[in-house]
Amino acid sequence: MTPEGISQLISRVALRDRNAFDALYSSTSAKLFGVCLRILNNRTEAEDSLQDIYVKIWNKADRFAVADTSPISWLVAIARNHCIDVLRSRKPVSSDLDQAADIAEPSANPEQSAIATGESRRIYDCLGQLDQARASAVRGAYLNGDSYEELAARHKVPLNTMRTWLRRSLLKLKECLEA
Amino acid sequence: MSATPTHGTPPEDDDFVAAEYVLGVLPPAEKHGIERRIETDVSFARLVARWQQQFDGMNTEFEPAVPPADMKGLIDKRLFGTVSPQAAPLLSSLAFWRTFAFAALLLAAIGFGRDLLTSPIAPERQLVASMEADGSAYHTIAVYNETDNQLKVSLVKGELPTDRSLELWLIAGSDAPVSLGLMKSSQTSAFSLDSLLAGKLQDGATLAISLEPLGGSPSKAPTGAVIAAGTVRGI
Repeated sequence: MTPEGISQLISRVALRDRNAFDALYSSTSAKLFGVCLRILNNRTEAEDSLQDIYVKIWNKADRFAVADTSPISWLVAIARNHCIDVLRSRKPVSSDLDQAADIAEPSANPEQSAIATGESRRIYDCLGQLDQARASAVRGAYLNGDSYEELAARHKVPLNTMRTWLRRSLLKLKECLEA
Repeated sequence: MSATPTHGTPPEDDDFVAAEYVLGVLPPAEKHGIERRIETDVSFARLVARWQQQFDGMNTEFEPAVPPADMKGLIDKRLFGTVSPQAAPLLSSLAFWRTFAFAALLLAAIGFGRDLLTSPIAPERQLVASMEADGSAYHTIAVYNETDNQLKVSLVKGELPTDRSLELWLIAGSDAPVSLGLMKSSQTSAFSLDSLLAGKLQDGATLAISLEPLGGSPSKAPTGAVIAAGTVRGI
C-alpha cells in the first residue's frame, strides 16, 4: 500500500472507522511484528506487544494529523518506543550484561545493507563514515533497543564514556546528514 | 539545522537528548520525562521528529513477520469488546454537561414552573460532543436538539481557515464516515439533520472535523487531517 493510502487509513481510524482499522492492521501488522521480534527477541513478548501497539494506534491515531512524518515511520516509531519500554521493564537478571555482550552485533558495514534505497541510503552513507564500533553502537541502539548499559558492557567501557562516545558519533552523523 | 534557542538550555544539548531519545538508549525515568516534554515543548518535539526522520532509513532492516492469525481478534476484543477506549477522558466533560443540563433544567423550572407542575414534559433527547485533538489548534463543541433536528457546532478554539474548508463527519458504529456539511461560521454553524442521519446520531457515535480543500472533500470520505474528534453523549 502507498504511504498516501496508509495516511488515509490512519486518518479514518482517527474518525473511529473500524473498517479502516482492519485495513490498516492488514497492511502494516507484519512490519510492526517484525519490529517487535527484532527488538524483544522473544515471541510471546512480541505478540503481547503487538496487541498493545495496535491499541495505542487506535487511541493515538488523531495525533498523526499533527505529527509531520511519513505514516509508516510514525507507526514504526510507536512500535519501537513500546518495545523499548517493555525491554527496560524486564526484571533485571544478574547475567543480563553478560548476555547483552553475547548478542550478535549488528553489522556496521553499510554495504551489507544494500536493500537501503533513496532516502535511507543517506543514513548508511553517514554511518559508514563513522568508526566501525561507533556505527554499530548507533545501529544496536536503534535496531536492537540496546540501552547505554548494554552498549557500555558490550564495548567494555564505563557508562559515562559510552555516553560521550555516542554523543560524539551523533555529532558527526548530524554533520554528515545535514551536509 | 537552523533551530534557534528558545529556552535557557543550549540547543546543542537538546539536540543530543532528542537523538538519544529516538535511539532509545536513555534510562526509563529520563525517557518518560522526555515524553512529557515532547507534549509541551514544540521546538524540542521538532528536534525529536527531525532525528526520527534521519534514522527512518534503518527501518528497512526490520524484517516483516506475519503475526498469529488470532491476533487481530484479540486486539478488537480489547478495544471494542468490553471496555470503551475513550470512557475515562470523557467522564469529566460528561460531568460538565450534566451540570450544564441540570442548570438549564432549573432555569426552565423557574420560568415555566406552572407547566412543569401541571404536565410532565416528555423527555427530550439532547446530545453533546466535545471535539478536540491533541496538538490541534481547534476545539469545538457540538450540541444536538431533537426538537428542531439541529446540530449546532461552535468553535471554542481556532479560526475558520480562509483557504480551506472544515468538514463535519458523523461516524456511527463501524460505518464509514458520513459528511454532515461544512463549518460556515467562526462561531456557531448549524447543521440540519434528516431523519436518517438523526437516527444515527446516538450516544457513543463519533463526530469529527477534517481539514478539506475549499468546498469540502472531493470524495465521499474525509481526505485531510482530522483536527478535532469526540464521542457523542446523551445528557
